[in-house]
Amino acid sequence: MAVLEVKNIAKRFGGIQALTDVNFSVGEGEVFGLIGPNGAGKTTMFNIITSMFPPTSGDITFLGEKLNGLKPFEITKKGICRTFQNIRLFPDMTVLENVTVGGHCRTQSGVWSSVFHTKKQKQEEAAASKRAFELLELVGLSEQADEFADNLSYGQQRRLEIARALASDPKLLLLDEPAAGMNEKETNDLFDLIQKIKASGITVLLIEHDMPLVMRICDRMAVLNFGKEIALGTPEEIRNNPEVIEAYLGKEEEDEN
Amino acid sequence: MLQELINPYYLQVLTFILINIVLGLGMYVTLSTGQLSLGHAGFMAIGAYTSGILTFTYEMPLFVGIIAGTLLAGIFGLILGLPTLRLQGVYLAIATLGFGEVMRVVFVNWESMTNGAVGLSGIPNLGREMTDALRNIGFEASSIGLRSNALGSLLVFLFLLVLAIIIFIFFRRQSQSRVGRAFAAIKMDESAAEAMGINITYYKVLAFVQGAMAAGFAGAIYAHVTGYISPSDFDYHRAIDILIFAVFGGSEVVWGPVFGAIFLTAVPEFLRAIAEYRYMIYGVLLVAMMAFRPQGVIDHRVLYRFKRKRQDKKAAKRKKEVR
Repeated sequence: MAVLEVKNIAKRFGGIQALTDVNFSVGEGEVFGLIGPNGAGKTTMFNIITSMFPPTSGDITFLGEKLNGLKPFEITKKGICRTFQNIRLFPDMTVLENVTVGGHCRTQSGVWSSVFHTKKQKQEEAAASKRAFELLELVGLSEQADEFADNLSYGQQRRLEIARALASDPKLLLLDEPAAGMNEKETNDLFDLIQKIKASGITVLLIEHDMPLVMRICDRMAVLNFGKEIALGTPEEIRNNPEVIEAYLGKEEEDEN
Repeated sequence: MLQELINPYYLQVLTFILINIVLGLGMYVTLSTGQLSLGHAGFMAIGAYTSGILTFTYEMPLFVGIIAGTLLAGIFGLILGLPTLRLQGVYLAIATLGFGEVMRVVFVNWESMTNGAVGLSGIPNLGREMTDALRNIGFEASSIGLRSNALGSLLVFLFLLVLAIIIFIFFRRQSQSRVGRAFAAIKMDESAAEAMGINITYYKVLAFVQGAMAAGFAGAIYAHVTGYISPSDFDYHRAIDILIFAVFGGSEVVWGPVFGAIFLTAVPEFLRAIAEYRYMIYGVLLVAMMAFRPQGVIDHRVLYRFKRKRQDKKAAKRKKEVR
């Protein structure tokens, strides 16, 4: 069964048609790429999947269940979590606290158990910070656990965002340009990290401009251009698709004229 | 001998410091979700008038009045908090300021109940009630060498000290829990917080109601300490007073408003010459704080320096455990 099905999604912002009739489905355990030039509507697609705003028409189905009308926090609880293109960490929290917040929807303690330090609450806190620490080890930030998030380097902040999203135990992880601004070594580390995430059974939907990375890591991908889906297939198929080449490089005739 | 040690004037100042700490904490908890409310004077008024009217006009016991005042302020917090959820920053401040003014106007004009602008006097005094209660069980102030009004002041101070500590511990523990992290996440980035699975509606209303209840409680106590309340006690200046405890002391950590309330209540008392210019100084202080230290005197990083050593030890221990 497909983890995520995107059916006939369209989105209009006033006079701008941001997305037109986008269809794709992401299978379980896949790394699925969503690529396209700037302004193609990729992040809009993420915002629709996570219910930051509703689509104008169309349906998103997650594990056989329609997500229409849910609030973003309910989407997270269902098992979809995301990172942001423009990093949105909680700057005045420590690295460890950031990841612990990610586990919010998998914990229960309310006001009274927190105030009375009940046994259950203590256990939950201990388990939550242990889990957060394990995730920091996974992304290679355990040394920085007690640093403030905004003291981290750019590449570290991107990895922290991934750890924070993983803390919500997602079945589907949405990564919005995780390699942006990373150097070659950091990109390689990211490649390894995504492989590990995939190996742990989490399905990944990836927006990325770093083509070598995308081609190496994705099982399948969809290409958007001006809000329209122009191609869908394996990296090999996409690489040789004339429409995709045109979208990225322009038409040959134009060059000649 | 004890009589010489206890100076009623100092006790009164300390009592007001404690009331202001509770008000500051109420402001802090609302601000800790990023909601700037200027309605706390209104909530304080609701607490004060509810308790004042119930105990004076209807002659109910004090504790009933205080609890009713606190709860009613909380209910008004819920009524105001829900529709204003979508408002951010200065718009929320304006809406809540409006609420405070509406409450004040209601108390001025509802003369049959509130005695209007003249105010409500003869509200049962907390200290006297407590001394009377002690006398009923056979304890006389003179048996520890005190006049009964001094004992009253002392009892009020101790009672409030205990309650302020309880309220402080409540907010401190809450701030260090899953709930507090949710508050902080909402304050720092609302949509990121929601994307991380936090129900922001619930937590914002929760913080708003808690702030309203703290203000209502402080108002009820205020009524029973001064024995007299009028609508002008809860005007715009009061809202600014409450705001500035948190803004000056620091609204990021629970110690901030405590420091702010102590400092800003004690200094005008001890420097009488300055007291006249208080609001001028507050104005300058607000502008200066916003420009140079918007997070207040005490913030995460100040506390962090105190904690650093302890955390280093903890981190080392955790590393060992993981290995």
